[in-house]
Amino acid sequence: MPREAEPSLNERQFVLQALQDSIRLDGRELDQYRPLELTFGDQYGVADVTLGKTRVLAKASAELTVPYADRPLDGIFNIATELSPMTSPAFEVNRPTETEVLISRLLEKTVRRSGALDTESLCLVAGQKCWSIRVDVHVLSHDGNLIDAACFAVVAALRHFRKPDTSMEGGVLTVYTPAEREPVPLSWLHSPFCVTWSFFGEEGDIALLDATWMEEQVRSGSCTISLNKHGEICQIAKLGGVPVEAVSLLQCTNVALIKAKDMSSKLDKWLAEDAKRRDKGGLLAELSAENDRVPDI
Amino acid sequence: MCTSTVCNTKKQNLFNPPRRPHPPHLIPSSTSKPLRLGPGLRHLPPSDIIPTVAGQLITNPQKNSMWVEYNNNRYLPTPGDLILAQITRSGPDLYYCSLSPHTPLATLPHLSFESATKKTRPQLSPGSLVYARVVLANKHMDPEIECVSSSTGKSDGLGELKGGMVFDVSLQFARRLLMSKSREEGKVEVLELLGEEGLAFEIAVGRNGRVWVGGEDLKAVVVVGRALRGADEGGLGVEGQRKLVRGLVRGMK
Amino acid sequence: MPLDTSTYGLALLRVDGRRWNELRRIYAQIRTQAAADGSSYLEMGHTKVMCVVTGPSEPGPRRGAGISSAGGAGGGGGGAGGQSKDAEVVVNIVIAGFSSVDRKRRGRSDKRTLEMQSTLANTLAATLHTHLFPHSQITISLHVLSQDGSLLAALINAATLACVDAGIPMTDYVTACTAGSTSTYAANDEGADPLLDLNHQEEQELPGLTVATLGESDRVVALVCESRVQISRLEGMLAVGVDGCKQVREILDQVIKAQGQKMILEGTVDKGTGLNDMDLD
Repeated sequence: MPREAEPSLNERQFVLQALQDSIRLDGRELDQYRPLELTFGDQYGVADVTLGKTRVLAKASAELTVPYADRPLDGIFNIATELSPMTSPAFEVNRPTETEVLISRLLEKTVRRSGALDTESLCLVAGQKCWSIRVDVHVLSHDGNLIDAACFAVVAALRHFRKPDTSMEGGVLTVYTPAEREPVPLSWLHSPFCVTWSFFGEEGDIALLDATWMEEQVRSGSCTISLNKHGEICQIAKLGGVPVEAVSLLQCTNVALIKAKDMSSKLDKWLAEDAKRRDKGGLLAELSAENDRVPDI
Repeated sequence: MCTSTVCNTKKQNLFNPPRRPHPPHLIPSSTSKPLRLGPGLRHLPPSDIIPTVAGQLITNPQKNSMWVEYNNNRYLPTPGDLILAQITRSGPDLYYCSLSPHTPLATLPHLSFESATKKTRPQLSPGSLVYARVVLANKHMDPEIECVSSSTGKSDGLGELKGGMVFDVSLQFARRLLMSKSREEGKVEVLELLGEEGLAFEIAVGRNGRVWVGGEDLKAVVVVGRALRGADEGGLGVEGQRKLVRGLVRGMK
Repeated sequence: MPLDTSTYGLALLRVDGRRWNELRRIYAQIRTQAAADGSSYLEMGHTKVMCVVTGPSEPGPRRGAGISSAGGAGGGGGGAGGQSKDAEVVVNIVIAGFSSVDRKRRGRSDKRTLEMQSTLANTLAATLHTHLFPHSQITISLHVLSQDGSLLAALINAATLACVDAGIPMTDYVTACTAGSTSTYAANDEGADPLLDLNHQEEQELPGLTVATLGESDRVVALVCESRVQISRLEGMLAVGVDGCKQVREILDQVIKAQGQKMILEGTVDKGTGLNDMDLD
């Protein structure tokens, strides 16, 4: 199995020394993110997020299934994470590494457990029919801070997604194609975003945001905080690593809130732009008379 | 690209698809010297020369040679290349070094250092870096590298690299940096420009796409690294490089 | 089953009759397994776990791609597994089927268990002096016998005790406990009190977090929060949690000292000079 190249002793030493003087290799401030870009696909529910050289693609999809027996009133919502060998030679297909398990757990806790998506609204007929929403996260390129990028991609994809419209009449469930009725967005409650701090040094006294892959390999601990713009923490995960003063963790949380609000407004802006772009086509289609004609039977 | 007169090489404006015989008019014809084929070309007897990679065909009528200039991502060791190797582990009488994550580990005998004996040989721990030359590279054996010139017994600047930082660049950019006339032939001026700006640094360019930059001032090292990567990733020309360096140096102060 | 938290405001007593800053009863034992290098048994209320430590020993055959394992905190350069400069901490958690009410079977690849394993490995790697044992492996096996909330905290405490018993050099005790807040995230009431050491019922209903600290300091090794909570509540919960960790540390310290005294009285260990200050009555 090819292994990920480990940084040499010189590199480790240099990165740590430079961080002592608050110098980062790419010239960023300690609490500065790399440029965050988002592109929506032609279909609804495809979000392609790049954060510096890290690139993550998320695709949401929906299908009709039977709800779980123990939760007849809830729809099904899943997030599947895929780290393929394309990303790094250290990842293998069908054998989840620790990184992959931790990322998918974090996404699950951030988006699913915090109730960002109203799963009750996905239920169509209690105990019989419901929507199963699935988000596939593919990491296309790995240059550190996968979690933040992946979380942003998942939230963007779900907010962009439209599921087919349905109606219930006299116990008959009808699912409309996009041509018949405009698909409807999911019932979305709040948008959580992950912000990951990396800690360096024996004492964990240097903290920085949005670590690159090199910095991630050298760091001695990390803490991922998920928040929404209303100041609600959805999840905190500092899974071991170097001990950090409780007070500085609180400070980290406060800075994370600012970053989460920033991401939230960025996403709102991009969603609005995309909606405008799509709406133009929709309006033109409505104005043309061709679709309105009903053929004689 | 235009014909460069400085070095008498002719760059054909031709994207060279592999596996197609060269049109004969592109082959330099000199009667005094035999035709020399460089990397990326293969001679199929009796008279066909075919490219094996996609790239830019370059001919040099003076030396009666031709080769394909290309950029690939995988480093294949070739004897005589200067490379930056990282020690992975130590065997009984040699070190195993990695040149890149995908190439097999290269061997570096314990005694291939300047004036090294069994007792005085340098003790390198896993993870340290050496600047070395490839001695032996072929298909069926692991490559061998050395940190001493076997003819003179001198190190010629090869050996362990202490401190500093490593930056990854593309293989082609590393090759351009290593050209004897990097400014004219390779169109890279970054290092000269940085020197003119008054930055003090040491540099060791490895043909395997890794560049080591050392120096007292951490900021200067970071700026050199960013300039190199910026020039490489942006595919900058000389003018672009000037702009980049000026911007970076200004940002540093 | 919704938890009736409305009475809390009246009597300031929780469902099990505790006050806000009370820990549940902690009972712990070390050296429970004669055959193991180090072992412990710990009860936090009705949460019961056992821990067995093997090692530091030569690493066994490699399994998987290093899942549930963590190299030492600052693992130096080096090759695969046994080649690394620091000892590797490997954690296995087995959750018994009878440990909770609903008797659910958890597979070996349950993501929640894997995450706990990784958390434990990284938490302990930060305090164990793994650099003293190059090319070796410390295996920590944990068995969950009964679950009633604060599972991760109990696992961390049990693992700490077992590591002390195994005689692995470490910086200090890593102790953990949970903290919560009296009302759910929806109610944005400022008067919400923090709570210490949540049981299963409270864990289901109220926002809470698990915090692990190093020794008597305020330094947090692990912090896991899995529920939605207002950012303003975090400070209070964290403060209560860190304070609880100090209480837990005292209790664990007593357990260790009691075992030490017992060993001296039994004559297993010679009474050394450094032990004069321990009162043996």
